[in-house]
Amino acid sequence: MLRFRSYLTPYRVSVSIALILMLTELAVELALPLLMAKIIDEGILQEDLSLVMKWGGIMVGLSFLAFASGMINSFYAAHVSQSFGFDIRKEIFVKVQSFSFESLAKFPAASLVTRMTNDITQLQNTLFMGLRIMLRAPLLVLGSVVMSFFVNPVLASIFAVVIPLVIVFLIWIMKRGSKLFQIVQAKLDIVNDVLRENLIGMKLIKAYVRRDHEINRFSESTNSLKNATITGLRMIEASMPILLFVMNIAILFILWHGQSQVMNGNTQVGEVVAIVNYGLRTTAALSMFSFIVMFLSRSRASSLRISEVLDTKEKVEIKGTHNGFQRGEIRFEDVSFSYPDVDELVLKNVSFTIAAGETVAVMGGTGSGKSSLFQLIPRLYEVDSGKIYIDHQEITSIDLAILRNQIGYVPQEAVLFSGTVKENIEWGKSDASMDEIERAAKAAQIEETIQQLPDKYETRIGQKGVNLSGGQKQRLSIARALVRKPKLLLLDDSTSALDVKTEKNLLKALEGYFSTTLVITQKISTAEQVDRILLLDDGELIAEGSHEELRKVSPLYEEIYQSQMEEGANVQRAN
Amino acid sequence: MFKELTNPFKYKRIGNKEKSTPAKKKQKISFKEAFITLRKLWDYLSNKRLLFTLVLIMVVVSSVLGLLGPYLIGTTIDEYFVTKNDQGLLFVLGILVLVFVFYSLSLFLQNYWMIGISQYTVNKMREDLFQHLHQLPISFFDKRQHGELMSRVTNDIENVSSTLNSSVIQVVSSVLTLVGTITVMLLLSPLLTAITLVIVPLMVLGLKWITSRTGILFKQQQQHIGELNGYIEEIISGQKVIKAYSQEERVINTFTEKSNKLKLSGFWAQTITGFIPKVMNMLNNLSFAVIAGVGGILALNGLVTIGMIVIFAEYARQFTRPLNDLANQFNTLLSAIAGAERVFDILDEQEEEKSHSKSDLSSIEGEVVFSDVSFSYEEGEEKQTIEHVSFTAFAGESIALVGPTGAGKTTLINLISRFYETNEGFISVDGRDIKEVSRDSLRKQMAFVLQDTFLFHGTILENIRYGRLDASDKEVEEAAKLANADSFIRKLPNQYQTEINHDGNGISHGQKQLLAIARAMLANPRILILDEATSSIDTITELKIQEALARLMVGRTTFVIAHRLNTIRNADQILVLKDGKILEKGTHEELVDMKGYYAGMVG
Repeated sequence: MLRFRSYLTPYRVSVSIALILMLTELAVELALPLLMAKIIDEGILQEDLSLVMKWGGIMVGLSFLAFASGMINSFYAAHVSQSFGFDIRKEIFVKVQSFSFESLAKFPAASLVTRMTNDITQLQNTLFMGLRIMLRAPLLVLGSVVMSFFVNPVLASIFAVVIPLVIVFLIWIMKRGSKLFQIVQAKLDIVNDVLRENLIGMKLIKAYVRRDHEINRFSESTNSLKNATITGLRMIEASMPILLFVMNIAILFILWHGQSQVMNGNTQVGEVVAIVNYGLRTTAALSMFSFIVMFLSRSRASSLRISEVLDTKEKVEIKGTHNGFQRGEIRFEDVSFSYPDVDELVLKNVSFTIAAGETVAVMGGTGSGKSSLFQLIPRLYEVDSGKIYIDHQEITSIDLAILRNQIGYVPQEAVLFSGTVKENIEWGKSDASMDEIERAAKAAQIEETIQQLPDKYETRIGQKGVNLSGGQKQRLSIARALVRKPKLLLLDDSTSALDVKTEKNLLKALEGYFSTTLVITQKISTAEQVDRILLLDDGELIAEGSHEELRKVSPLYEEIYQSQMEEGANVQRAN
Repeated sequence: MFKELTNPFKYKRIGNKEKSTPAKKKQKISFKEAFITLRKLWDYLSNKRLLFTLVLIMVVVSSVLGLLGPYLIGTTIDEYFVTKNDQGLLFVLGILVLVFVFYSLSLFLQNYWMIGISQYTVNKMREDLFQHLHQLPISFFDKRQHGELMSRVTNDIENVSSTLNSSVIQVVSSVLTLVGTITVMLLLSPLLTAITLVIVPLMVLGLKWITSRTGILFKQQQQHIGELNGYIEEIISGQKVIKAYSQEERVINTFTEKSNKLKLSGFWAQTITGFIPKVMNMLNNLSFAVIAGVGGILALNGLVTIGMIVIFAEYARQFTRPLNDLANQFNTLLSAIAGAERVFDILDEQEEEKSHSKSDLSSIEGEVVFSDVSFSYEEGEEKQTIEHVSFTAFAGESIALVGPTGAGKTTLINLISRFYETNEGFISVDGRDIKEVSRDSLRKQMAFVLQDTFLFHGTILENIRYGRLDASDKEVEEAAKLANADSFIRKLPNQYQTEINHDGNGISHGQKQLLAIARAMLANPRILILDEATSSIDTITELKIQEALARLMVGRTTFVIAHRLNTIRNADQILVLKDGKILEKGTHEELVDMKGYYAGMVG
């Protein structure tokens, strides 16, 4: 938890002020009974009305001072805790944005979300309490103990035994508690994960009428969250009555011991009374401790979870310096690749060259490594071995942002974000003019559809791209790629849903973009239109060449060809 | 440094200080609404009434014992110290030990039970929320962000949870102490009591001022945290695109904006919440001063004794502490209400028509009839997605749906399975209007391969078994073999036991489709729905599963959206859709002969 101290540095002025104000308030509170005694002793008993008025006035004044301190403290404490939470939240978010997919895979999305909201709220609340009241209880205890030693060291010595015991006990509880609450937060992650899955897969669940099954699954996870929470809370709450009991017994011991002292005449009755009073005050303050311990253990658990994200080590990222490329020639040299934590190679020693401006189709069976090959080019994943060059520069030597900015990558499953149609295309180029956007939409063959939407480019689409058909979503994500006029265009099976005519128009429109274009496709009809075909089989590049060439040299290609020819051409892949 | 000094006062003012626009007014927690929410919460609690009563008893016991302890100590001092008599001291101390044992025990029990009750309640809310989500129509989810809904289960319910844990006990014991103190004060001196109580109206005013603000702020805070949650979830889900387009900066900016909104509402909520104990303290101190001052004057005039003033000063303290506690709890309560309201918002969402009131559809033949069906996703849209569609699919027939993208093919399937309800016309299965039968029984007759393939977190085996939960391992493997998925599954490190990790990474899209087909094969439906089931599967593999699919389709009514000519050609009926209307229908030969749209597409 201490590692987060550095996040307080920018606010140290506010922290100090908040603490000073808190102490002021506390001081006033302690002073008031003394003033009260003064008024009674010197004012009322002496029948001195002016003194009563004077000190009464001072009391009122001090009250206002305490009040003002408290109110202002509220501002500073809220400012510090909110800013602190805000900073950490941003830090995590930025960190997650810098994650490779390997690191990202370590944390389920639902868990990252919880860490950025729920866990941070825990820290924030603790900090706020800390700046306002948390120090009170310890100070009260400390003050009482010190005072009691002044009164009578012999009788007070029992505190010297009990208080350290209590502290050790509290620390132990906090450590246990924080472990338990770590479990609680982990269980919360699971609940969240199940919920998220259900939200994403709702249609499938409804289709297969698996509601009850899912409800059971959710109940299981949420019950286990419940039990973990109960264990954690009970462990902390149950310890408090024990502490109270220990303190109360200590007070009885003082009474018992004190009585014999008084009988012996070693001690004044008043001293015993005072010490017993201090004891009672300490006991009362202890009930605050259960609160504090609860806050501390929860925030300790949360801070560990946040640290886990922040401390995730990335493999040394090779930061390129070169400023991009001009033409867009791609060369793979002996490239092998496997996904993180999977042994099997997805690509095996793949080598090829694609000339700038060329349009190349990548073909091959399901799971043959086509999509993986694509993802290596914008460095979404790093190669295991081998090298990839663009315009004779190794891609690792190019600045990552510049590299990616010159690539238009259209993934297989269209990803759209909540927002308008226009905003979704703008993801490709933040400062795109309306004209550019429309041109990209036209080239992507989606303009006509957009014009039919209720608010055209300003039509809002939900997270899942509601009300757009699968094919429309695909073309929207193609428009997103085109708006940036990429040097390299990577279409991962993105034309699958287009009918032959639309696809032809699209490919024709692409010619105007002068990009080096790679297209993953299953369709021979597409392959016929491109300059060259790369044929992958089980991660190996087994053939390359034009449609005619491949038909001659590659039995696999011929087989694909036949699989589509024997019944004639594709009608279309609509939707 | 000076900047930091003034920063806390530079937050933009929000809440009802702004001119209350109609929208703002809606946000204001009215007393009535809050009460309704509390009632609903209470209904949840009431499932544990007996235990709750026990908790209340324990609170009473602990309050009494908590007062008895110090009182006994006081009398002990009077009796045994002042008079220097130790006869029976051990006995009294023994009694005190017992008092403290029971005091601690009653505290322990009330906490122990209350935690059980509160977590049971919160858990019940979570489960209800989840169950209710499953009763909501698909259209509900179209408009919501996943993360925003998730926030209700975590951040909002968390608010309720922490309040229930501590507040209930606190409130009860505060009220008890309050009543007790006032009673004693009244007995001692009605005059001084009246003076002490002068601050009560002030307190009420102060509380009202503060809570009228915190109520809105808490609501806003929960809303903002929900929006932020929604944004984060969406961004993490779409991380691939963000990276590929190096949009990290843009995303971070939007995030900061949303996070800032939360910071702002959080700041004011916290600040103003922080006012409560201060205001209470202030009034407390004031009453102290008033008692001292006024009491002093009264004492000088001989109206009250000095001892009485001292006692009253002490009581004034005791009196304000529970009030202070109550005020604090009131705030926690408001934050719980803000959270609970967002949960109840969902629970109040209109469910899909309850299905159990409907009769079940069982053992059907599989004839599907569309009669003049029209539909649009959003009400009042100019152009309907489906317009006046009528056709009959006889039992066992295969129907191919073709047409350009956006023609309404998937929408037709959404209607058959009642993911959405028709606006006009009706659909019947075996002559029964599908609106008249329960959704579950309707869907149980169907198996689906949907356009968006989705795999759950779990093993491959579990994912295929989703098609029929009681299928044996062997049956699952059979289905996988038929779907041609077996060979790639065998290559995975743990084969059928391989865990699909988050969002199905490491498995290609085509492979996901193979698994989805295996899933459908495992089910044994009368009606089969294949929506772009093989779009990402290479054509050689597709040919291989084609045969299995053909076998599966025998005797079942099948709706196919596909691009493969042979699937379409072999269909008993082809429906050509364009702009939501049926343009042509017939067999392949008939349509080719018609030389219309279809012939143009094929040619």
